[in-house]
Amino acid sequence: MQSAVHWALLGLVIERPSYGYELANRFEQAYDGMLQLSGFSYVYTALDTLQCRGMIEEISGTRSGRQPKPRYRATAEGIRSYQDRLITQMREDFRRSRLFARQLAVFAHEPEMALDVIERYGQACLEEAGDTPVLAPGGACADPVSGLAARLVSEERRLAMAARLPWIDYARREFKALVVGRSQPR
Amino acid sequence: MSMLELEHVSKSYGRLGEHVALRNVSLCIEAGEMVVVWGMRRSGRSTLLRIAGGIEQPDSGVARFDGHQLGDCPGEPLGDGIGYVRKGFSPSEGQLIIDHLVIGLIARGVPLSLAASRARAALERTEMLHCATLRPTELDCAEAVRAAIARALAFSPKLLLIDEPTIGVDLLARDGILLLLQSLAKEGMAILTSTGESTDLSGARALTLSEGELYGQVTRELGTVVPLRRRA
Repeated sequence: MQSAVHWALLGLVIERPSYGYELANRFEQAYDGMLQLSGFSYVYTALDTLQCRGMIEEISGTRSGRQPKPRYRATAEGIRSYQDRLITQMREDFRRSRLFARQLAVFAHEPEMALDVIERYGQACLEEAGDTPVLAPGGACADPVSGLAARLVSEERRLAMAARLPWIDYARREFKALVVGRSQPR
Repeated sequence: MSMLELEHVSKSYGRLGEHVALRNVSLCIEAGEMVVVWGMRRSGRSTLLRIAGGIEQPDSGVARFDGHQLGDCPGEPLGDGIGYVRKGFSPSEGQLIIDHLVIGLIARGVPLSLAASRARAALERTEMLHCATLRPTELDCAEAVRAAIARALAFSPKLLLIDEPTIGVDLLARDGILLLLQSLAKEGMAILTSTGESTDLSGARALTLSEGELYGQVTRELGTVVPLRRRA
């Protein structure tokens, strides 16, 4: 299963059993600015897929009534798959970082071009860092889970920046040294 | 006119000026804005703050506060209205936290009764009034930073300068200090801080300083002014 939206929906079902429309609303609140639903109906398609794969199951007795709202909960298989997915996703992020560094090195003979990329990357990082909200512990949040999620996301962004900024500084020095080395007579 | 303007500021140290701290740095900070400069050690960030506070003079370039060039008045290095947050509390300046605030105000010619009330107000603003009668050695790291900010706030500055506000501060207390700085900015104060290992860039215009060079958005991004259309 490749869709990030499917995995995110599975996560929400793990967090709390829900029915389709409720899930769509929770998705918009939880992943605002990170993931986007193509439409509310997509949730039902995703729920079918997750159910076919044995990752979620319908809670019996929730389909009754004039307006049936079948609720879904995660299976043990679904929870295990979700945990595995988190780790795989993290490995993918590591790979992407290595790839970026490797691809930047193609400018070894044109260090000014690398410096241009580094400046733009640095600017993007600074904008991201500046946009990260400061959240007081136990600050105003709709519920404890949302508050915890907001703090975890915020701290992850800050720590990622704490790693990236020294790297940018390092890469800048490396390529500047190449510029200087090239301008000196042999 | 910006609250703080640095124009092509350069500064070097050493007998031959071999240690370059700042190279052609330009920076504008507006009232109500918080700017954080990230830099590694020896990147020049403390020099930047000292020059912004008028404590040091640049070798070349100009530093202006509220339209006035800093360092124009010899003997008064800190421009009136600039609060430079010193984190240390020297025993010679008083025993208790409140003493440290009051003594500074009296030294600037503020009458004792007014100095006491301003000191209490500054401690209240930083949520430190309950520590007014404690000794600096009795404070934890976060409280010491808040008390140091209060000492600067007692002078009602328009620009607050603070080097590494959360270094050594417990993670859970860190955000409280950042929120305090943000709230001061929301009240109209211009704030310039620096950070090193930590990542206190959240909620601010973030810049980086590397080998004395400043990177990032050195002036606040303002919306394009759309001229009003004249009525026909």
